[in-house]
Amino acid sequence: MSALEARQQSAAGTDGTGTLRLIRLAGLVATAALVFGIVPEVLGSLWLKVLISAAIYGLAASGVALLYARLGLVSLMQVALVGVGGWVTLKMWHATGLPFEIDMLAGGLAAAIVGALLGLPALRMRGLYFALVTLMAAAAFQIFITATQFPNGGEGWLGVSRSAPAFMPRPLLATTDAAMFRYVVAVAVLCFLAIEACRRSRAGRAWALIRKSEASAMAAGVSVAFYKLAAFALAGFVAGVAGGLLAATIGVLDARSFPAADSVMLFALTLVGGAYAFLGQAITGLLFRAVPALLNDVGVDGDIAFLIFGAALLHALITAPTGIAGQLFGLFGRLIRLGGRR
Amino acid sequence: MIEIRDLSVSFGGVRALDGLSARLDDPIVGVIGPNGAGKTTLLNAFSGFVPVASGSLTAFGTDLLAMAPHRRARWGLRRSFQTEEMVDDLTVADNVRVMLDALTMKPREKTAAVERALAFVGLADQGRLLCAGMDLYRRRQVEIAKIVAGSPKVVLLDEPAAGLQPNEAAALRDILVAIPETCGARVVLIDHDVDLIAAICRSTLVLDFGRRLAFGPTGEVLRDPKVKAAYLGLKEAA
Repeated sequence: MSALEARQQSAAGTDGTGTLRLIRLAGLVATAALVFGIVPEVLGSLWLKVLISAAIYGLAASGVALLYARLGLVSLMQVALVGVGGWVTLKMWHATGLPFEIDMLAGGLAAAIVGALLGLPALRMRGLYFALVTLMAAAAFQIFITATQFPNGGEGWLGVSRSAPAFMPRPLLATTDAAMFRYVVAVAVLCFLAIEACRRSRAGRAWALIRKSEASAMAAGVSVAFYKLAAFALAGFVAGVAGGLLAATIGVLDARSFPAADSVMLFALTLVGGAYAFLGQAITGLLFRAVPALLNDVGVDGDIAFLIFGAALLHALITAPTGIAGQLFGLFGRLIRLGGRR
Repeated sequence: MIEIRDLSVSFGGVRALDGLSARLDDPIVGVIGPNGAGKTTLLNAFSGFVPVASGSLTAFGTDLLAMAPHRRARWGLRRSFQTEEMVDDLTVADNVRVMLDALTMKPREKTAAVERALAFVGLADQGRLLCAGMDLYRRRQVEIAKIVAGSPKVVLLDEPAAGLQPNEAAALRDILVAIPETCGARVVLIDHDVDLIAAICRSTLVLDFGRRLAFGPTGEVLRDPKVKAAYLGLKEAA
């Protein structure tokens, strides 16, 4: 019950004067200095690209985590929504030449709309059946995008050129790899903050009631349909923004990078990393992109990662429902209390 | 004033409510009946959780059946469930606040209304605690706070004291009695505890097999031989 007491304390704000807040602040500052100051300077281009990709998929995972942690819904289509956001971002840039930020927002909005439309079945279905619907949507996107490819400045509505593909340039603020890394992390943090703001407001309370029971939500005057679709739209939005960032990093997107299997993998790793805290999604992104790269780097086939992920998923499902992030927070809490007792 | 007219609800071939009519005028009206008599179905019909086959439900001149469930709640219909429905990872205050989210009030008014509701049930200084780990009695207190927050018009309580210790149930009874004068709402109380019903309900509706077995002043109703027969399972004296 000690973890519960700690939560009660932090909810009641009784730790406000203590050292805990100071430690938290110091941790935050140290993390920010590490991520923004040190990491981009010391890492080489290859590893920076890996970390950029990890941050992007961590952002996408925050949408999966939102649906799972707040509403108990299993969405297996997040990577497809990343693809939708990437498609619209590229199409917008090639068609209009507007600044990247606007293209990325358009990609986010498009993915939000698609996510909310595909979320409609969730108003009637739940559990396995809804998960299957999202999986089929992911598979449909895989087929669609393999047939059409991503826009690269060609003629026509699809805008695909086989002979002379054009690249979308990086955003003006982020032309180097180090700057791009900072840019991606900054956008991800903004999106995390937006989700957190929703969670602490009216929407978060509505989600909590819906998760508890839809009857009690309705009895509280909550429009269950509206808030479920809002969660899907928000999850879709962060996926779409992630897609835009992915397109900006490389300048083009490859249709082969968006298989349905990746959506399933991202969901599984969201559980492994931890769906209930943003640290969990950072871990998810690292697992999803950095671990295979790390294995390749030491000369092991990156596919071995699947074995590790499978074992990690079993571990998460059986012993760590709050994922690695939850375990880290638990450990941290124990250390603080040990220190406090002395 | 709550008017139930000719209300019927069927689940397949079972008529859970069968042409029920009653005009509930008193501040607190009790609803009793054997298991399966249709008490909870009646509340679910009020809430809009079950399809109504025929009949009408009006309260203060408003047709409740015409509204979607969440709109009935916004209109002022409040209810509790047999099992308490507190959300563990929200604070006590947020569990109450959610009732006001859809209402058009200024944020400051909402905060004040939450504080008033918590003070009413005796949780004035506990708004910032999480509900996780709280005992059943405190959860029932939060539940009543949810119900009286804002401006409820009709309050439906489904065995609010279920699972409580006798001393806790007595404390809760004192809170329940004060609901009508505190917020002006009419209360409909389902309970198996006949002593509780007799103590706080001026009139009582008795259901059996979805029909109205008796309705009137609580004392008279409880002395009715038909009611005793239904409760004790005796054959009705012909």
